[in-house]
Amino acid sequence: MRAAAAVLLLWAASSAHGAEPKPAGSPPPPSTCVSCHAELDGAAAEPAAHAADDVHFQKGLSCHDCHGGNPAAAADDIEAAHDEKKGWVGKPARLGIPQLCARCHADAEFMKGFNPHTRVDQLAEYRTSVHGKRNAAGDERVAVCVDCHGVHGIRPVSDPRSSVHPTRLAETCASCHADKGRMEAYGLPTTQYADYKTSVHAAALYKNGDLGAPTCNDCHGSHGAVPPGVGSVANVCGSCHGREANLFRETEAKRGLDLDACIRCVVCHDNHAVHPPTADMLGVGPKSTCSTCHAEGDPEYRAAKDMGAAAARLKERLAAAQGLLERAERAGMEVSADSFALREAQEKVVEARVLVHSFDEARFMAAVDSGLAGAEKGVAAGRRAFRELRQRRLGLGVSLLVILAVIAGLVLKARELDRKTPSP
Amino acid sequence: MTRRRLLDWFLGTSLGAMCLSVLYPVARYVTPPDVPEAETNRALAARDGELKPNDGRVFRFGSHPALLVRDPDGSYKAFDATCTHLSCTVQYRADLKQIWCACHNGFYDLSGRVVSGPPPRALEQYTVHVANGEVVVSKT
Amino acid sequence: MSGESQAPGGFAAWLEERTGLSALAAVARKKTVPLHRHTAWYYLGGMTLFLFVVQVVTGILLLLYYRSSADEAFESVQFIMTKVPFGWLVRSIHSWSANLLVLVAIVHMFSVFLLKAYRRPRELTWLTGAMLLFLMLAFGFSGYLLPWNTLAFFATQVGTEVPGGVPVVGRFLLRFLRGGDQVTGGTLTRFYGFHVAVLPALTTVLLGAHLLLVQKHGMSVPESEAEARTGRPPRSLPFFPNFLLRDAIGWSAAVGVLAALAALFPWDLGEKADPFAPAPAGIRPEWYFGWMFQTLKWLPAHVLGVEGEMLGLVAFGLGGLLLVLVPFVDSGRHPRRSRALTVLGWVVVAYAAAATAVVYLKQGP
Repeated sequence: MRAAAAVLLLWAASSAHGAEPKPAGSPPPPSTCVSCHAELDGAAAEPAAHAADDVHFQKGLSCHDCHGGNPAAAADDIEAAHDEKKGWVGKPARLGIPQLCARCHADAEFMKGFNPHTRVDQLAEYRTSVHGKRNAAGDERVAVCVDCHGVHGIRPVSDPRSSVHPTRLAETCASCHADKGRMEAYGLPTTQYADYKTSVHAAALYKNGDLGAPTCNDCHGSHGAVPPGVGSVANVCGSCHGREANLFRETEAKRGLDLDACIRCVVCHDNHAVHPPTADMLGVGPKSTCSTCHAEGDPEYRAAKDMGAAAARLKERLAAAQGLLERAERAGMEVSADSFALREAQEKVVEARVLVHSFDEARFMAAVDSGLAGAEKGVAAGRRAFRELRQRRLGLGVSLLVILAVIAGLVLKARELDRKTPSP
Repeated sequence: MTRRRLLDWFLGTSLGAMCLSVLYPVARYVTPPDVPEAETNRALAARDGELKPNDGRVFRFGSHPALLVRDPDGSYKAFDATCTHLSCTVQYRADLKQIWCACHNGFYDLSGRVVSGPPPRALEQYTVHVANGEVVVSKT
Repeated sequence: MSGESQAPGGFAAWLEERTGLSALAAVARKKTVPLHRHTAWYYLGGMTLFLFVVQVVTGILLLLYYRSSADEAFESVQFIMTKVPFGWLVRSIHSWSANLLVLVAIVHMFSVFLLKAYRRPRELTWLTGAMLLFLMLAFGFSGYLLPWNTLAFFATQVGTEVPGGVPVVGRFLLRFLRGGDQVTGGTLTRFYGFHVAVLPALTTVLLGAHLLLVQKHGMSVPESEAEARTGRPPRSLPFFPNFLLRDAIGWSAAVGVLAALAALFPWDLGEKADPFAPAPAGIRPEWYFGWMFQTLKWLPAHVLGVEGEMLGLVAFGLGGLLLVLVPFVDSGRHPRRSRALTVLGWVVVAYAAAATAVVYLKQGP
């Protein structure tokens, strides 16, 4: 019965909302709600305090568009303001908040007056998510719109001060998902945020300000948040790491493998604590990821061992070339062209590491060999520079000998002349 | 041979040797080297015809990698090949007719503008001149 | 070989009729150099001249390949160091010899100062000499920018900032030097013009005068070695060929030193200057300006209501003026004044050396 009344009231309120969208930046319409609440104490004043920041107010909407009631009531006349006949609902029921927001945000006709590109499927997506499903089942503890977007001072997503801006989203999710008390009831872990903060993605986002770096919603979705299933993790990572994802798919198709058994990216790279790959991961050493599944005696084990050894050799030869060229430069030789060429060889390390995802030893070795060729060229260039340095020093030695001979000759000649011309 | 004449000969010869050791480097120095001038703002990217239409190649321009692209219609374009995201070297994708960065799937169009992916800025574009069968790329 | 009495024949006669050079030759043959305890110092003038000639020759060779625009300067020097045969040698010699030249010029001047060779009638020789030293410093300052690397760019920025502090004409001076308000490619072109045209022209005039005056007055004998003091008759050496041979020994040794420095410690290229990048740590001007900058750093911000830096500049200006006017300050007639000036000279040199040491100890080589 209560629910029916609530729905009825909501419907009534919805027909009261026909407010025309005002151009952005126009001042919020004068409203008794705001002026009255601004004078109250404590929590009652909170809605009015944020009115100026709120994107809805800035677009010309006001309190009554969500809460109902009469914004034009006389000041201090609470009953007139909170008039149920004018659709007053008070604080909306928590479970019904998604529908409340969707009244506008799922209305394509209404929203396109504000922004022709804006999406109107948030509620539909939400319903597919764990949050949405549990909300529909009556769980009041799961997130609804206001838990992430804020209640009264709602800012657009693109505003860096918004709680769902990429630089702040992870904290917003973590406010529940890192809370042991909350997550215990669902049996969910709470380490994701801490793990994410150690990751290379977090470093790119927070330290370098790279908004292309992923945060929670880039992998999990914004409204349809689900943990990516076994099948979709690779698709998710692959939306940026296209090469690696393509290689995986090629490998599966070409060799008829079922890589599901390895849960793709996550097994080697983790899902939240994604760190830059290291040379140790390849091969059969203690820190290697290959040996977590492949045991000694497997053909894969041998392949991993060979690939690890080849990568190590490439690294060593590149370091040798780099060292030689740096020493030559310090000794005064000009090696910038050779250093540049070495860069190309160094990029082969990256290429080889990407080719690990093809699980094709031949392709990997081809990249390593190409890198080794470049490294050997660098070593040869370094040796050439030192040869030239030796030649210069030899030339110097010869010319110094000649100069010494000249000096000796001059000294003897001077002495001879002195003997012949006595000083007056 | 008197001592004096020996000394004169010795002094003369060693002075001559010293003069030679000065004049030889000077003579070599003033002889123009194979490449007559520093390639500063200009670089020879390729010979005309080396690159087929709808193909691209990376070459060295000063101390940076640069990308020479030959359009499907035959004209040449050149860009700084350093991706504006995290500085990987970009490459030309003939299948997509776009410039691609393999590191994080960034795409640029043939004007260097970002089409998709994380790169924040367009690629710097260079001027290309084709003369005497050479494709020369310059910064201005 | 004593002077030949018979008239020269053949080509020599032909030349003589047209140039009258034999008169010069006769004068040259008569030139002598006094022999005494301090004769060794006489070599320094010739050494300075030799090093200057080295600079002119290597400089002319460099300008066959160097380009004086901001876009190309660094690359052209890189080209010289890597692609031109023996380019590394010519460039490194030019850079090392520049430093040696300034050092030898300073020592030459200081020895003349201590030996009091500036006294009458050699006041003008000193004057031209002091101005030549300033010209060598200007050569060094203008040449330092030409490779257009980071260190040079910022050192020039700092260095041209200082004249801006001179009262009245400072702003004009700064804009004249920089070719604008900032150090730009325009500054580079201007400095190149100074370095290869203006300064050489001025040097030619002053050096010509300096050398002519030296020939006219001959080498001065320090008071302590004068006959009146030692009681012995003065000994001397003919300039041609005896002293010249000795000069040649020094010059050959200098060539050896320069070759060794160039081969063992080639001058580095640095990184191309980027006017938009922030200044790196450790900028400093060349060593011969270091003591002035250290002094300016040590001066308090304000002294008696006057800006400390301005005071420093005025002091340097006055010091430079005093240097030029040394022969007029110490004409020899007032022995106490002479002694005071000598002491002052030592104090200034000791201070400059100490300040230079501080610059290098603080920041490392």
